[in-house]
Amino acid sequence: MADPSTASPGYRSVPRPRRIPVIPIVELALLAVLAVLPLVLDDYLTIFVTRVLILALLALSFDLVWGYAGIMSFGQALFFGTAGFSVALLARDLGITSIFIVLPASLVTGLLVSLALGSFLLLGRHPPTTIFVALGTLTGSYAADRLARGWYYLGGQNGIPSIPAMTAGSYQFVEGPVYYYLAFATLLLVYLLCRFLVRSQFGLALAGMREQEARIAFFGYRVQQLKAIVFSLAGAIAGLAGGLYAFHEGFVWPNMLGVVLSTQIVLYALFGGVGTLIGAVIGVIAIEIVGFWLADNYQQEWPIILGLLLLLVILFRPTGLIGVLVSERERVGTFGRPPRTLSRAAAKGQHGTA
Amino acid sequence: METALNATFEVLSFGAIIVLVVLGLGIVASMMGIFNFAHGEFVLLGAYTTYLVYSAGLPVWAGMLVAPVVVAACGFVLERLVIRRFYATPIAAMLATYALGLVIRESVRGLIGGLYVSVPEPLVGSLIIGGVRLPKWRLAIVIITALVMVGSYLLLARTSFGLRVRAALENPSLARASGISTNAIYAATFTFGAALAGLAGALVVPLFSLSADLGVRFLIQGFLAVMLGGVGTFEGPVAGGALIGVMSAALPWAVAPVLADVLVFVIAIAFVKFRPGGLIAARRL
Amino acid sequence: MDEENGDRSAAPTMNRRCVLQSAAWMGGAIATGIGSWVIPPKWASAATPIKVGIATDLTGAIGYAGNANANVAKMVVKDINNAGGILGRPIQLFIEDTASNESVAVANVRKLIQRDKVDVVLGGITSSMRNAIKDVIVARGKTLYIYPQLYEGRECTPYIFCTGPTPAQQCDEFIPWLMKNGGKRFALPAANYVWPHILNEYARKVIEKNGGEVIFEEYYPLDQVEYSAPVNKIMTNNVDVVFTTVISPGVGPFFKQLYEAGFQKRGGGLSCVYYDENTLNINAPYEIEGLASCLDYFRAVTRDDPVSARIQAEYDKEFPGKILFSAGSAATGMYRGLKLWEVAVKEAGKLDRDAVAAALDHAKIFEGPGGPAEMVPGKRHCKMKMYTAVAKEGNYEILARSEGLVDPKEC
Repeated sequence: MADPSTASPGYRSVPRPRRIPVIPIVELALLAVLAVLPLVLDDYLTIFVTRVLILALLALSFDLVWGYAGIMSFGQALFFGTAGFSVALLARDLGITSIFIVLPASLVTGLLVSLALGSFLLLGRHPPTTIFVALGTLTGSYAADRLARGWYYLGGQNGIPSIPAMTAGSYQFVEGPVYYYLAFATLLLVYLLCRFLVRSQFGLALAGMREQEARIAFFGYRVQQLKAIVFSLAGAIAGLAGGLYAFHEGFVWPNMLGVVLSTQIVLYALFGGVGTLIGAVIGVIAIEIVGFWLADNYQQEWPIILGLLLLLVILFRPTGLIGVLVSERERVGTFGRPPRTLSRAAAKGQHGTA
Repeated sequence: METALNATFEVLSFGAIIVLVVLGLGIVASMMGIFNFAHGEFVLLGAYTTYLVYSAGLPVWAGMLVAPVVVAACGFVLERLVIRRFYATPIAAMLATYALGLVIRESVRGLIGGLYVSVPEPLVGSLIIGGVRLPKWRLAIVIITALVMVGSYLLLARTSFGLRVRAALENPSLARASGISTNAIYAATFTFGAALAGLAGALVVPLFSLSADLGVRFLIQGFLAVMLGGVGTFEGPVAGGALIGVMSAALPWAVAPVLADVLVFVIAIAFVKFRPGGLIAARRL
Repeated sequence: MDEENGDRSAAPTMNRRCVLQSAAWMGGAIATGIGSWVIPPKWASAATPIKVGIATDLTGAIGYAGNANANVAKMVVKDINNAGGILGRPIQLFIEDTASNESVAVANVRKLIQRDKVDVVLGGITSSMRNAIKDVIVARGKTLYIYPQLYEGRECTPYIFCTGPTPAQQCDEFIPWLMKNGGKRFALPAANYVWPHILNEYARKVIEKNGGEVIFEEYYPLDQVEYSAPVNKIMTNNVDVVFTTVISPGVGPFFKQLYEAGFQKRGGGLSCVYYDENTLNINAPYEIEGLASCLDYFRAVTRDDPVSARIQAEYDKEFPGKILFSAGSAATGMYRGLKLWEVAVKEAGKLDRDAVAAALDHAKIFEGPGGPAEMVPGKRHCKMKMYTAVAKEGNYEILARSEGLVDPKEC
């Protein structure tokens, strides 16, 4: 891993090719496209993309835990669904639909549930294995699904239909371009927040944890607590997505909590490529669009075709779609600010620039 | 008294079924660290093969003999084509198997036409022993499961093949250095696990009727059973499967069925939290 | 598929032209964004077509029923078009897959409403599906919605019309018949979701009003396959009639375990109100011998009713195979719904939602599967004939019919 150009100031005989960072380009391109999409699409397609954006938020939360903290969470849908049900209940029983209450409420719900589950699974005397956490979250998701299905107050199998529109004062957020931009803005905000986080010192610790957990622990970082923090943060994000989803779709139902959705999210993120944040977004968009197109054209066989496609991608590109565009080095990431000049970098002993 | 005995037998037979399903999953997980998300679909394939043979006019038990072989063959092919690439990355393996399971499940759904179809039991009726009613087929399943387990144990503990399998399980590098082809062992193990799943599917299809979602039900219970029992041993998944099966069948007698459902999982996870090795911690055989 | 690629059956010399034609059609289709199933009317006409949307489960666990619905819709619309359409305009059918998955369903139903701009939507099979898509259709989409499946009732949202049996229709005559032919001690083992809860509530009322007794009422998770506990309760408490709403995948094992315990042998009566020809295959015939069901249609009705016979024959000819025309899969409700809607549009003379809804409110048809049907004014539910049938050696035999049309008693 030693970079010859930083090894010593005098060693400059091999000019290093300047690598263009691909990820920011991808991010900006996507940003530009998404920003103008409602202007060119039919309403029903805009609504479809809004839903995709909300799911992208959910996939982002998974990328945070798996791609950056090494926690295989099959339970993101648990936080998503719980938040969705909570705000649905707020709307149905208490008549609260104000955006200023429901969105924070969904965020907090996601945070609390993930804090509870995360503490149980991650903290304790023995650090848990990846598989244990994976199964623990899977169980949480599954148990919540079964419970919701059996609980009449939550609507049982049917869920809670006919959720009124989200309001801000007397203004109603209806589906369409308005909601699209709301979802888009939320996604953008959360994305920037996560991006900042993972490129900070905190993110450096996370990257270290992902690559070599034991070593980071020996350095004195409290690995389990770091994981719990990231897990809770991701849970909050998933909760936020759940609140947006509930009001957008107008109904919540037990599948929002369940294992199928959880696994779908994992698949989305892995398909796009973990560890890059934007990969998760791309993965969701790609799969949803392909699924949409397939369902239109192959009405009977589309689940099979989708499964085969996923299989092929996993087989031949385990790093996901983003691996097609981005080098491994860039995927691992950069942290902190790049040094001014190479010599000063060598003098400071820093490393890790693209 | 009779009720209690009847209940006990019912619970036991359900436990046996779960054990049979879980055995293959557990062995593969212990050996290769891969949780095969398509395991439920191997069960489905076993059931479907039995149904196909039966609808071709042959007796049901013929289908039950054929099913493990067919599923083993499928398992072998899948292992060579797909699973093999993921030994280094078990997480990607889980997802690849999930995608595989999806494909298999939807294909079967298309083939059956989305309905539920039934396959008759090879042994109809019940034995009445001292007032206790023992359905013949369930009894057969318990006996067959016991035989399979004993057979597997003997295979692992007493044969040279079993010795090689255990070596590959404990210390792959040393095994390879000793001239054991771990690749071949892995392929054999996966095939064996698939065969067990196929057998399980074939045996239970008369009881539970065939539908495309047959496997999904068993999958999560299977994972939990493996976790509960402990990864890394042969007895672990057996114990875990037995416990999960018994709890699932017994709890509804005591609490409301809906609650019992959730309780099984919560108890299992809580147990594993406080005893991470599972029921039977991996120890050197 | 035949309508789109009509020329495929032509002689080989036409091949290149066929390919070019199909390619042109596909290209045009892709360019205009057509997808899903659009079945344009065969006759080109200067009049703009009336658009009917069908949203049903073509794939997924409910696929066997959804496909029957789609088939019925195709059949009925073809018949209507062959007879000249409605108001001189042909019907164009748009079929979307709700995939037994509510989120996918909502997205696809939006296509019907916003892209295809259909004038009416028929579909949804499970209540959860109906709940998921009804807002998109009726509230946000301002379109009429006809729901064809037997269900628990209590759907009183304006602009939603239900053409499947309700608890009252399934219980009012059936339960007294059960008591006369079975006994007074009832057990209600049920699947744990909304339909059984509400159906059982109504059933209990009817049972107790007629002097019967409910020994126990229990709810099981949908995928429970071990029923030793309830079977034991049924046997030890001398239950006469089991009125069950356990559904697949639990129903097969449940009936098997009940049979093995000797329930039928000691004279117990089994009843299950959603059991139709599709579900007969779940168990071996001897395990469900004597099972009673009450639906708006059975194949056995065709023996005495020429209209039903004609409809069944037409369906069987057009769609031979495993997708059956049966009452439990909403197929009969779909037929009824389409015909009632046709009558309503003819009466209203236009497609404006309020006008059609007003006409549909009191619409009647004299020819339907199982008999005539009429909407109860103000209630948006449908009166129909109900039949009590018993399974004998794997087939249904009608043992009782309703005198006239049974009232749904909803809303």
